[in-house]
Amino acid sequence: MPHITIEYAILVPVLILQIFLFPLTTGWLMSTWVDSRRSLALQEAASHLGSIMQQMYFSLSHDTILAGSVTQKPDVPLYIENNPYTGSATLKTVVDETQNASKILDITFKLGNTGITATTRVILGQNALWKNSTFVSNSATACIVAEKFENGTISLSFGG
Amino acid sequence: MAGSTIDHLVSVVAFLAAILIFISLFNQILQTAALYQRHRSLAMKCSDLLDNMLLSPGIPSNWGQTNVTPTGFGLQDPEFTQYRLSAFSLMRLLSSVGAPVYYPKTNQWYSNITVGFGNFLLTSFSEAINYSTASRLLGINGTYGFQLTITPIVTLSISEIKSKSPLRIAVNVAGRGFPLANAAVSYCFLTVDLTGGEGSFPSYKTTYGTVYTDEKGSTLLEFSEITKEDTSYALIAYAQLSGLIGVGYHQRVSSTGQYVVPFVDNIAEGRVIIAHSYDVQYFGPPVAEVAYNATFVLLAEDFTLREIPLGADKIGKVNYGEGQPYKNVTIPTHNPGILVITYRKSAVEGGVIMMPWGISAMAFPVVFGEDPSGKEWVATDIRQVIVNDIAYQATLALWSLEGYQVIR
Repeated sequence: MPHITIEYAILVPVLILQIFLFPLTTGWLMSTWVDSRRSLALQEAASHLGSIMQQMYFSLSHDTILAGSVTQKPDVPLYIENNPYTGSATLKTVVDETQNASKILDITFKLGNTGITATTRVILGQNALWKNSTFVSNSATACIVAEKFENGTISLSFGG
Repeated sequence: MAGSTIDHLVSVVAFLAAILIFISLFNQILQTAALYQRHRSLAMKCSDLLDNMLLSPGIPSNWGQTNVTPTGFGLQDPEFTQYRLSAFSLMRLLSSVGAPVYYPKTNQWYSNITVGFGNFLLTSFSEAINYSTASRLLGINGTYGFQLTITPIVTLSISEIKSKSPLRIAVNVAGRGFPLANAAVSYCFLTVDLTGGEGSFPSYKTTYGTVYTDEKGSTLLEFSEITKEDTSYALIAYAQLSGLIGVGYHQRVSSTGQYVVPFVDNIAEGRVIIAHSYDVQYFGPPVAEVAYNATFVLLAEDFTLREIPLGADKIGKVNYGEGQPYKNVTIPTHNPGILVITYRKSAVEGGVIMMPWGISAMAFPVVFGEDPSGKEWVATDIRQVIVNDIAYQATLALWSLEGYQVIR
């Protein structure tokens, strides 16, 4: 009899431990997977948006294109796992202006309600300008605006 | 008592085993799902990157026709839009397939695209854009590896059926797995006369014509003026059907031991070095001086071939070894064409060498970047492109440099 009591005394806590251990393990594994999935989805959206912006810039930069404005609604998801995301960018010159300079647009995306961020870089020409603006994924009017001026400069911004 | 203890021990072990199995299986399923998503992301990146390469001319936009190192990578022809690529930007890409050639007289290495004997494109390393530069300009240095392949869609297989009296040449035109019936084939037939030139320089005679392919995509060309088996000649043919254009070429030479080798020295100035083959192959004596006569042909808008006059440097003589300088010829245009160089080793030995000026003129393929074989997961994407009216297919192979991981 005393032996049985000891065995039960060991097994009962183990059993109780399982009740907590299973959900905790599952939760830990799931959160790793969910974070990874969200990061990848955000990176994918950022990379695709950067690619679209570069193509818009080079399309407008062509000599045959006159001054004007182009708006592109990108085919990126409105939400990532039910969370909207926002994007902002900064433009910097990377080479001496006299030596055929180019500019780099650093785009940073943040996924709402999480601490997840993603960045992408776009190489543009000397005539590129960036108008401070924010991309809001779930805005009905979220878009990329590119405007070419008479002097050949091209201003890029997020719309919506 | 003992039985009960064993029961409990077994159940505890079984329980722990169940936990471990659960964790490992669950983890495995999640890993597979994560992997799937990473591969999907890689495919998306591949598509975006290919479009970025093909739909932008780079910075500056005319970098292909200059000697500058671009600050932005792109292959689009700056004079056009859409998927039309610059034949000269492609010419400046360092080839991944041909073994580089060293020419001691300039102390330079040359990127090598060779398609059979006598068809060379050797571009100086100082002019060529290498893989790491392109990777850095694309913003993927250290994160992704890639290989870009540009291959012609229309192929012209040219073979000699009868060697003389008359010379018969069969031309077969095919697309990707099907013959091009009723395609117009415009050709330039160039025969080398080893004794007909001024002094000891070879001369040449060109014949132009247009024929049509039959339902099997074949046509036969006859040249009755060729009465000797050792007469050197070159045939360049362009096939055209509903806007789909391809190029083919064939030559016969009587001297393959000693000939001339053209090196692209300066793309901006159109300067091409003409060297003796022994300087490249490092053979010893006996060596013969080789005389040459260069001409430049380009494809006109009506798909006929036109000759563009070269300057006084179109003829010359080159020899092997020290004290024997190389010669130059200057191509006066940045329209793609073919530099045809007839050469003469002796009164009975000579031949003809061809070099495309702009990759499309002879439909040369381009392979640029690292070899994707052996990489863990490679995403590929393709586009149909036009390079100076010649139809090509561009294929990009992309992989992550962190194995299965995709950089976040």
